[in-house]
Amino acid sequence: MIRARSIEHTWRDASREVRCLNGLDLELEAGEFCCLRGVSGSGKTTLLLALGGMLRPTEGSVQIGDEDLYSLSSGARARARAREIGFVFQMFHLVPYLTARENLLAVRSKLGKPAREARADELLESVGLTDRADHRPAALSAGERQRVAVCRALFNNPTLVLADEPTGNLDPDSAAVVLDLLTQYTAQGGVVLMATHSETPESRASRTLWLREGTLHTT
Amino acid sequence: MSVLYQIYAEATHRWVHSLLLFGALFIAAALPVAFHTTGSAAKRETSRLMRDLGYNVRILPKDAELSSYWAQGFADGALPEEAVQRFKTADDLSYNHLLAMLAGRVEFRGASVLLTGLTAEVAPQTKKKGSMIFEVEPGTVHLGHAVAKGATAGEEIELSGLKLTVAAVLSEAGTIDDTRAWVHLSDAQKILAMPAVVNEIQALECYCADPGVDNLERLREELETIVPEGQVLRMDAAAEVREKQRRLSEEYFELLLPWILAACAGVVALLTAINVRERRAEIGILRALGHGSGRIASLFLLKAAGFGIDAALFGFAAGSWLALEFGPAVFPVTAGKIVVEWSLFSYALIGLPLFAAFSALPSTLAAVFQDPAETLREEGP
Repeated sequence: MIRARSIEHTWRDASREVRCLNGLDLELEAGEFCCLRGVSGSGKTTLLLALGGMLRPTEGSVQIGDEDLYSLSSGARARARAREIGFVFQMFHLVPYLTARENLLAVRSKLGKPAREARADELLESVGLTDRADHRPAALSAGERQRVAVCRALFNNPTLVLADEPTGNLDPDSAAVVLDLLTQYTAQGGVVLMATHSETPESRASRTLWLREGTLHTT
Repeated sequence: MSVLYQIYAEATHRWVHSLLLFGALFIAAALPVAFHTTGSAAKRETSRLMRDLGYNVRILPKDAELSSYWAQGFADGALPEEAVQRFKTADDLSYNHLLAMLAGRVEFRGASVLLTGLTAEVAPQTKKKGSMIFEVEPGTVHLGHAVAKGATAGEEIELSGLKLTVAAVLSEAGTIDDTRAWVHLSDAQKILAMPAVVNEIQALECYCADPGVDNLERLREELETIVPEGQVLRMDAAAEVREKQRRLSEEYFELLLPWILAACAGVVALLTAINVRERRAEIGILRALGHGSGRIASLFLLKAAGFGIDAALFGFAAGSWLALEFGPAVFPVTAGKIVVEWSLFSYALIGLPLFAAFSALPSTLAAVFQDPAETLREEGP
């Protein structure tokens, strides 16, 4: 369902080159909850961004269903990203001037306005945030913000959710809620690839991959 | 979510930034409006003063002796009557309010009268304005104060054998005009037996905005192409002093305005750059949410343009108020002429949003070309 082939990526700046992905292959199937582990700087975030169509790898291809993300124009890739991929970040990255509900409505979507509003309300209700819908992120706790961020990632019912250390800033209870949400999503056929330093999510994962020296390992 | 709502939400959230942006654009609207409003009043005042001082250009036959002209009050020689009509079709002239005249001495009730025949004023096609002088109907005469000799309006008199009805006796002017008997050109041509000719064309010199140009030289050059059989005299007058004063104030505004606008553009550009910098993560996440470059660009350009519209509305009102309130103190001569310049409103309403958008353009491009992966990676584990 999601295939990454021979992914290589090299970060370049004025003084040096760092090759962080080195001919990496990855396949993810529907309903899979995959944990991605590795030391800081090993390239986990780079891989997630490359799989999400946000970072064109130096070499290789990323396929979601029948679509090769990087053979698409930037506009088509943006549309594919909206349709097929959800992102969850450690720092939540909610738009600070929008309310929780508006953050969900900020997702690019083909739905009409009433349908979008109904979808936002449904998602917020599912995570127990109906009464917080009109609060801005600054007025929400870290756990609530991350629940909003997960709802946003799930808004278009995407094929793949890429989660970059989503529980890193959360207390254990809030982390458990977020992991529950992602687990429910995979139970409905979605795919989660979660970068993490923590061992806790592994208990939910169908498999764990280690990123070392630019390639993936099972142990 | 609509772009406009997102812009509104962001603008109210970062209200200090919004206030500064509005302030810079408000100044960019208000000061030019205030300057232009008072400047236009000064221009109208100059025109009025120059008109009040009368025709200040004389076109005489080329061979006319000037000493004789000043001594007798009319020029020897003649110009074809149709010469004045040639100005009608000419463009971009320094002449306006052209008045063809035929003057000569006649006797009336024992005194020498300066018989002056005239027709309606002629104006170049792009400068049509109301006449500066009364019109005389054929068969009538307007008598100067010094030559009326008891004649009254409605009375029939005879001038060198031609019977004319007195249309008016003019009030005392204290000039040579007091000795004139104004008749229609055709009547003067009959009395003086000079058919189809004139011996003087009076005119008003238009204001010349270019201080580097010798006005008299320009008048002569223009006349050479239109009426080569004529020569031109220009009356130096108080209007020139007024013209110079206005030119001085215009130059002052012209010097100041570009700096004000450049400063405002700089502030708008800086504020947009700060805004883009503050919103790097937001731009990254909007990309991740599937939004393209158009959406990102419109968030900044439409915001700047929207503030430009608001600032144009308030800036126009404030600039007009400034001109009306403080203009009379700064320009006492033109105080009565300062009025709201509504023509500036549309310029402000169209120009300021464009000005704001152009000022915000460099930072907007930086936002569009920002690599979202860079921003989002900075936050990664």
